[in-house]
Amino acid sequence: MILIAGFIIQLLSAGLSVALKIQRRQSALVHGMFAAGLLVSVCGTAWMLLGHAPDISLPDFISADPLSLFFLFVIQLVSLPIVIYSYSYTLPYLENRQSVKPFLIFFLNGVFFTQTVVIVQHAVLFLVCWEFMALTSYLAMVFEKEKPEVQKGSWMYLVMTHISVLFLYVFFLSLYAATGSWLFTDYLREPLAYSGYHYLLIIGFIGFGIKAGFMPFHFWLPQAHPVAPTVLSAFLSGIIIKLGIYGILRMLFMIPPAGAAAGWIILGISMFSAIFGVWYALAQHDLKKLLAYHSIENIGIIGIGIGMTALGMAHHQPSLTALGMAGALLHTLNHAVFKTLLFIGSGVIYQKCHTRDIEKLGGIVHAAPVFVMLFVIGSVAISGLPPLNGFISEFIIYLSFFETAAVIPSFYPLFMLIMTVGLAFVGGLAVICFTKINSVMFLGLPRTERPALSGDRFVYAAMGFLAFMCVFIGLYPESVMALIRSVLAVNDWSIPPDYGDIFSSMRWVFLSVVLFMAGAVFMRYFLLKIRPGRVSKAWACGYRRLNPRMQYTASSYADEMNSLAARFLLYRKNEDTPKRLFPEPSRLESHTGDFGEDTLARPLYKVITRIILSLEWLNRTDIRYYVACILIILVVYTWIAFLWNL
Amino acid sequence: MEFVNLILGLLSLLIILFTSPLFAGFINKQKAMLTGRMGPVIWQPYHDLRRLIRKESIYAESASFISRVAPVISFVTVAVAAMMIPIGYTIPLIHFKGDIVLFVYLLGLSRFFQILGAMDIGSSFEGMGAAREATFSVFAEPIYFFTLGSLAFVTGFTSFWDVFHNINLSNPSFIIFIIVCTISAFIMMITECSRMPVDDPNTHLELTMIHEVMILDNAGFDLFLYQYTATIKLMIYGSFLICFLNPFGLSNHALGYVIFAVLTVILSSVIAWVETMTSRFKMKNIPQYLLFAAAIGILNLLIYSFMK
Repeated sequence: MILIAGFIIQLLSAGLSVALKIQRRQSALVHGMFAAGLLVSVCGTAWMLLGHAPDISLPDFISADPLSLFFLFVIQLVSLPIVIYSYSYTLPYLENRQSVKPFLIFFLNGVFFTQTVVIVQHAVLFLVCWEFMALTSYLAMVFEKEKPEVQKGSWMYLVMTHISVLFLYVFFLSLYAATGSWLFTDYLREPLAYSGYHYLLIIGFIGFGIKAGFMPFHFWLPQAHPVAPTVLSAFLSGIIIKLGIYGILRMLFMIPPAGAAAGWIILGISMFSAIFGVWYALAQHDLKKLLAYHSIENIGIIGIGIGMTALGMAHHQPSLTALGMAGALLHTLNHAVFKTLLFIGSGVIYQKCHTRDIEKLGGIVHAAPVFVMLFVIGSVAISGLPPLNGFISEFIIYLSFFETAAVIPSFYPLFMLIMTVGLAFVGGLAVICFTKINSVMFLGLPRTERPALSGDRFVYAAMGFLAFMCVFIGLYPESVMALIRSVLAVNDWSIPPDYGDIFSSMRWVFLSVVLFMAGAVFMRYFLLKIRPGRVSKAWACGYRRLNPRMQYTASSYADEMNSLAARFLLYRKNEDTPKRLFPEPSRLESHTGDFGEDTLARPLYKVITRIILSLEWLNRTDIRYYVACILIILVVYTWIAFLWNL
Repeated sequence: MEFVNLILGLLSLLIILFTSPLFAGFINKQKAMLTGRMGPVIWQPYHDLRRLIRKESIYAESASFISRVAPVISFVTVAVAAMMIPIGYTIPLIHFKGDIVLFVYLLGLSRFFQILGAMDIGSSFEGMGAAREATFSVFAEPIYFFTLGSLAFVTGFTSFWDVFHNINLSNPSFIIFIIVCTISAFIMMITECSRMPVDDPNTHLELTMIHEVMILDNAGFDLFLYQYTATIKLMIYGSFLICFLNPFGLSNHALGYVIFAVLTVILSSVIAWVETMTSRFKMKNIPQYLLFAAAIGILNLLIYSFMK
């Protein structure tokens, strides 16, 4: 009931955004109302997820099973700060008397339709909602459509999202053909008596995997994220790609487990996405592109959890399934939280400093220490370091590796060890990447003239809320684990009870870390009060003082690591080093391509273009000719259909 | 019994916190003697640390609050990580299923802030050191999981205390396993603690340093925290290595401590000997060196899984 009230408020405010002439005050009204609607519905979702049945009967095609509710919870919880930030984001446009109405309409409706995708349990309705979600987010993305880069990036998004939908059409139509029903609940009820379901799994995985951004279908993310308005990139990266994850999980439950092979394939693809997602991220200089590649890494980590779930299902090990699933779901929530935090931060930087190139920034910490602190919290969380939330979900995935090695003998321990090392390697790369952007953007001296960076109170409210969630989930994982347990309980999976103690002992460790840190920082502060430190010039090896151009750049910071995978990252360096005795101008710049785009998608595109161009002789100016073509094709189709049924 | 374990756990922590400078001093003394010098007394690190506490802190003009906070955070996380290491035959203060993962991530947090603290100055010396530290540690973490992770998979436990407690030396393949693990862990220790042949703690040229160049612009109490953290880290990794070699299954605490002390002395001699005999590698070759250690880790588990 609460949930429905929340939905109605959201719909009303989305309707208002269409009806009103959006000025500053109306924008505040619409945003405020939508945020209130989200707040109400997130409470309703959490209440239902904790085991309270809805008090009104719902039609068949809308369902409130815990998996849907969990994703609904993630969407609503994270949309709330995005909507609050959206108000602050649109303010400068309103002050310049630019219209934000189209953006507002499409964005708010996009948030609404994204929520409907997860609660609909009917294949056709699902596809309709999915399409609405994709289109509204595309239309919101082309907000600044006069820029050529926006046109290019959003076009890539539109094309990829439709390729994804194409696969989903095939997937659901084959399911319908096999079972004769459109309802998801029917697919669950009886095991699929369809011999070709392996192919179905592959088709579904590609369809949802494109949306989620698994490698090698990832390349639309780094194209679309940088060009979208920041509100929308946060929404895309935080939420929309998670719907791909939702789809894959839904599919795993709908279709009977396809054996351990499916688990291994998902694990392999995910590990690949995780390692190379973060490695590509390391080589980027564009802040939003870098964060987009990090989404690929995190989708990979979630995918590892899903792979472990599939392995557990194949080997009938409920403890393993539960751990893998808990890791995947918790990381879904965590990634939504910290990625949104980081994207909002990147939006503030872009709006105030007018650049996304991290090499042009620097020294922001002196202007906005609180902002930097919030961004650093997000960075520590995304690097998976304790005591924040990213660590908890990665830790559960590590536990699932150890559990697998313990319960399934034969060659499993060896491969699980390799997975463990792989995940550790990903964590190490993420640390380099986030120390890189934090230090180059925020610390040291400003590389161009000092940016007057400051956020308004809405930005701080949104970022503060998300940073608080990072810390809260880190210290009290049980709060979210209660929600996840109810998702697991549907399938009679439960995390073994001895794992419950881990979180309580870990919380003591974390609390002691936090307390020690707070105490030590306070003591340090106190000591500095008594005996203040002296401020002096930094050591510049005999030069009088440092200048901004003498600072280490992001390119050089990451160069050694990138050169190791240069061939795969398509990493190119242009360097002019001094060759003669006396100093002369020298420079270094580095660029990366993208494996998926440059070696898979573009050649494919070329082949398709060539085939289509070879049909150019069909192209005539006479309309009767086309009508004849349509007629011939229809006759051919009819004949095929006729022969098929014979 | 609970209470006794708590006291003994605290004692292990105190041993790590207070004898770590002695360990470093002992290595330095032996190094000096191996090269035919008298060398400083083994208490020298204590004197150095005391001198640093007394001095005033100096901050660069471009330093922000990160420089003031980073040494503290880096120290606290390493100190908490020290609570997980079993010394002799005592149960450490922190032990739960999966703490081997927490240990390496806590050290990662320490490194994260140390790098931020270094980059805070905006000097390219610190940038260079930070870049090297970050790059090499990416390879050190896999080595950790190849050694301790494979031990965890083999013994079936995921806590330091349980893993080291359950090493079974009656199986001959286990002995080979432990020996190979020790080599990997030794290389990891050298990398993480910035010793030769990965990093030279005594060099005088900024361009060739890793750890020392990161703390170039710190002074006084901050420098004390960094240096002390480095010695504790050396002691942690040393004890970690000793834990591999001390699997006698003794239930006698006193004997456990004696064996620990003896092995510490032997380990310090080995480090001193290695540092005397080798020179620092070219920076370019260090990833190869680390990948070698990771590769023998894989080999190790293969050997074990075939011989089991």
